[in-house]
Amino acid sequence: MADIAFLLIIFFMVTISFEVDKTQVTLPRTEIRLEIPKQSAYVSIISSGQIRVSAGDEISVPVPGPEEVLSFAAGVVQRDPTKAFVLKADSDVPYRYVDSVIDALKQAKAQVIYLLSDQETVDNQES
Amino acid sequence: MKLKKGNVSDEIPTASMADIAFLLIIYFMVTTTFAATRGLDFSLPQEEDTPPMVEKEEAVLIEIQAGGVLIVDQKPMLLDEILEYLEPKLERNPRKPVIIRPQQNAAYGDMVSVFDELRQAKDKIGFEVKNISIPTQREIDMFWF
Repeated sequence: MADIAFLLIIFFMVTISFEVDKTQVTLPRTEIRLEIPKQSAYVSIISSGQIRVSAGDEISVPVPGPEEVLSFAAGVVQRDPTKAFVLKADSDVPYRYVDSVIDALKQAKAQVIYLLSDQETVDNQES
Repeated sequence: MKLKKGNVSDEIPTASMADIAFLLIIYFMVTTTFAATRGLDFSLPQEEDTPPMVEKEEAVLIEIQAGGVLIVDQKPMLLDEILEYLEPKLERNPRKPVIIRPQQNAAYGDMVSVFDELRQAKDKIGFEVKNISIPTQREIDMFWF
């Protein structure tokens, strides 16, 4: 019994991943979903437009607006120019918030942005 | 005073090991969150000073209005019809630029749906939409008008 228990413990220890951003959002659903590199920088936007950022190795912190996203992203890109950014935005968020964040990331010369999404399934399409 | 001798076992007591192990299992089970770690990738152009100049007339313009209404080249269209509309155009010019332009109050989810649909072009119609751009409002103000 103890052997099985320890095997399970090892499984959980190996698979555990510490989420840097615990913001609860309803992600958009897509059929194409590519694996996001680990340690990517996160920018999350909840439906009210509140933005939080994380460079990938610490818990995300709220920022007042897109200008701060630009300075945050510029700092991240300066440290690692190939760093991937993950945009975790609520499906219902008005596009102007996303637009300003994408614009900030573009100005910071980010190379790639991943739009975090859930899997689109046949059931979702029907409903 | 006499001390009791001989009752001390020379083995490590392991009876409580399983209890500790299960406590740890419960801890890991409770704290494990299956985080979404997948999404659509979106590469950005690298030379900020020379944005890819796209003639508006040559490109296919997909406008997304609030409420999810799609206007493709001034014509309202459903999401499923976009690739059908693009197919002959991509056949003539595989590098045909497609511009996604959501209105400021459109939902982010609608933009992602359109982007996802375009990315599936290779599977659905056999042509890849190689040139997808999502200009930001600042770029539109700077370079278009």
